[in-house]
Amino acid sequence: MSQAVEDLGLPIQGPGAGQDTEEIAGKSPRQLFWARFKQDKVALVGVGVIVILAVLAVGAPWISSNIAHRGPNDISLAREMTDDFGLPVGPNGTYLFGADKAGRDLFVRVIYGARTSLLVAIFATGISVSIGVVLGIIAGYFGGKIDTFISRIIDMILSLPLLLFAIGLGAACGTTKTGCNFFFLEIKPGLGLVVFIIAAFSWPYIARIVRGNTLSIREKEYVEAARSLGASNRRIMFREVLPNLVAPIIIYSTLIIPANVIFEAALSFLGVGVPPRTPSWGRMLADASRILDVAPWMMLFPAGFLVLTTLAFNLVGDGLRDALDPRSGR
Amino acid sequence: MRSKRNVWIIALMLVLSLVAAACGGGDGDDGDTGQNGEAEGDAERGGTLTWESEEFSFTGGFDPVGEYLGEAWGVYTNLLLRNLVSYKHAPDAEGNELIADLATEVPEPSGDGTEYTFTIKDGVMFGPPLSREIVCEDVEYAFRRIATETLVAQYGNYYEGVIEGLEIGKDPGKGGISGITCSGDKEITFTLSEPTGDFLYRLAMPAAAPVPEEVAGCFKRAGEYGRYLVSSSGYMFEGSDQMDASSCDSLEPISGFDPDREQILVRNPDYDQATDDYRENWIDEFHHVINTNTNDLEQRLDTGDNDIVYTPTPQTLRKFVQDPELEDRLHVYSGDRTWYVTMNLNEAPFDDINVRKAVNLVMDKDGLLRAWGGANQGEIATHIIPNSMLNDTLSDYDPYPSENFAGDEEAAKAAMAESKYDTDGDGICDAPECKGILQIGANVPPNTDMLPIVEASLEKIGITLESREVTDAYTPITTVARRVPISIRPGWGKDYPDVYTFAVLFQGNGIACEGNYNYSLVGLTQEKADECGIPLNNPDIPSVDDKIDECYAVSQGPDRITCWGELDQQLMEEVVPWVPYLFANVVYTVSGDVTKFEFDQFSGTGAWSKIAVDPST
Repeated sequence: MSQAVEDLGLPIQGPGAGQDTEEIAGKSPRQLFWARFKQDKVALVGVGVIVILAVLAVGAPWISSNIAHRGPNDISLAREMTDDFGLPVGPNGTYLFGADKAGRDLFVRVIYGARTSLLVAIFATGISVSIGVVLGIIAGYFGGKIDTFISRIIDMILSLPLLLFAIGLGAACGTTKTGCNFFFLEIKPGLGLVVFIIAAFSWPYIARIVRGNTLSIREKEYVEAARSLGASNRRIMFREVLPNLVAPIIIYSTLIIPANVIFEAALSFLGVGVPPRTPSWGRMLADASRILDVAPWMMLFPAGFLVLTTLAFNLVGDGLRDALDPRSGR
Repeated sequence: MRSKRNVWIIALMLVLSLVAAACGGGDGDDGDTGQNGEAEGDAERGGTLTWESEEFSFTGGFDPVGEYLGEAWGVYTNLLLRNLVSYKHAPDAEGNELIADLATEVPEPSGDGTEYTFTIKDGVMFGPPLSREIVCEDVEYAFRRIATETLVAQYGNYYEGVIEGLEIGKDPGKGGISGITCSGDKEITFTLSEPTGDFLYRLAMPAAAPVPEEVAGCFKRAGEYGRYLVSSSGYMFEGSDQMDASSCDSLEPISGFDPDREQILVRNPDYDQATDDYRENWIDEFHHVINTNTNDLEQRLDTGDNDIVYTPTPQTLRKFVQDPELEDRLHVYSGDRTWYVTMNLNEAPFDDINVRKAVNLVMDKDGLLRAWGGANQGEIATHIIPNSMLNDTLSDYDPYPSENFAGDEEAAKAAMAESKYDTDGDGICDAPECKGILQIGANVPPNTDMLPIVEASLEKIGITLESREVTDAYTPITTVARRVPISIRPGWGKDYPDVYTFAVLFQGNGIACEGNYNYSLVGLTQEKADECGIPLNNPDIPSVDDKIDECYAVSQGPDRITCWGELDQQLMEEVVPWVPYLFANVVYTVSGDVTKFEFDQFSGTGAWSKIAVDPST
């Protein structure tokens, strides 16, 4: 703005007109982004929550050893923490969040559950974004038969009944030690399978977004210019198109993470998620649902953390969108 | 900002709702065990008894030949079917006594013990739409159905090779089973290939109830006949009188049985109470309704919309135990069933008997009982066969004792130290075969609650499990080729009040590659392993077939009980296929509308033919 005024030779109006003014330097895109982002207090709170969750997740072993003094599967106090009917005891001086039905420390399990949820969500998101971005750029840039082929694959995957597929996979591959083999892949229930399922079924969404943006960007003058200068398709895709997709990719990624957290929770709820020994918010919710009327803390704490995590990522995603693309309406 | 504000508002409301839901709940206090006892009060004729359950648990479409669980058996034996011999529909030992039902009396076998002759009572009728007397050929037809392979008789082994000429797959026509002969309409004779002391019990099983060929003969595949079942007892499916049985083409499913929703039974107008000494038939209607919401069906007990809860949740059980006003509505009976952890004798490390003994010693059975819901759910099992079936002759027998049944880690380590998988003899299983062992369990309680206890117990002796929770855990463990090493899923209840129905679980010659119940593969041979496509990893798997045959031949009475007790001890000490942990009770909570409750020891369900409700409600 100040640059434009100088060009016109007009005096710069402002407080103390006629006095000396500071030189106004232009801000880089990164600086502009940060300036806008840090004004968004809600997004900053989201970032803070995510940082705290990450610290808890990373520090879970230390917390369980040094603060709680028991692990997530420790049942040494089961007799004290369940009654004669096997029903758990609520929050008390020993178990901060109360016990679960097996007499385990719910606080420790919730903290460890954060590791599961964040690990799965972030890894699965990373993989799905990688696949989706590459295929989306290729589809949008080349168009034609390549676009048609990739788009039909996307349509096919999006039409699959995902949860039924996951349940079926768990039933088919979950009852032998080696699981089942699909070409060179060994499929058996576990963290890897959960990440695979989530990634495999969420990449189409970002692929479509990237494809759409690529279709628009490939018609831009700078792309035309690069092409006329003899740049290869590969160079144009990843040096000219991709940088202009950073904003939507980042925004979408932060928004898909909470969805994948919920997805992992749903898979665990249905019994096709992480192994029983691995704490998972979804599995805790499944266990809690059966005795919610007498042990509401079993649902309150994992559900609260799940809501908090989902909310935090959503708010950060909103903030990133506003900061990276201020043209988007509020 | 506006959108963010809305997000905050929604989030706040969500958290507040969670907090509101979290308010309440509390600790459980120590509770007394429940009391047995019939609901005292005047039983009056009339009213509707409603039983809501999460599922029907039918194994064969409600076709008697294919049903193998108590829920169906209880309805059959009390309300729909009459056999030549039956039971008194009472609890405990009285409920396991045989009585004449269709027959005029319970016969003694002929001199060599291979022939039983019955006379069918006059005036016992099939209900609508047939409304005709039951005759000998109807009983014979039931066994022809058992011999028909496509109908998949669930316990055909109790008759094949026992009744002369009965071979499954032979699909005999009328008169095709040489060991069953009719003399006129009312006399039927069974000729056995050898003396079988418990044969009368086998005749009391639902598959042996008479079946009208003019209706059932229209259905050649398993599970089809159930929706067209014609009653021979005090009740019938509502709408039975509307079924057109003039031809197979005219048959339509009876309206009173929707396999996805409900069974509605009403009184059979062709039933003559004078022919029946043991069914009281108080209620006018019996509704068995599916309600998949466990909490809801238990809450409906309070309102009287549901009269029966079978196996209540721990929180409901606690409520009934602790509230003196509800005490009379809680009914707890011995279930003649054992729940256990099964170990595959053909898979490492359970191919080593020292490992199996160590597992028995270390298991926290008290914790497992707690996971089931506490003392009301039964007594801790210290051997295989329920004490009630052995007349308590082994009630003090515990080959793997521990203080408070919490497991004896030191004794377990001593046993493990003898194992080839404990390479340094420190009592901890350190061979790779002890790590990450596949374990299959159900994905519902109590399995989900048992799992941490089992894992923690085995970890003490160095065995780690890789557990899978699945919806149908029985399929993998009954499929030999799946080679499941260990499972916390199984339980077994008697088929009839003779220990032979437990002994079948250990017959090596009874191992089936699919649908196998000898999960531990006791008595596995090379031939059978080849047939099932698995390697015989343990050529030294012991067999108890000889002992089973020995006890099988002993006549009913104390000597037979003693022999079965010896089998139990042999299994526990020389074979060790299981970790038995619970002799389970059957627990019912009933609504305030139930004025008389009775338990049927044979089926392990309510004695529906003796339960009464207040007709005015």
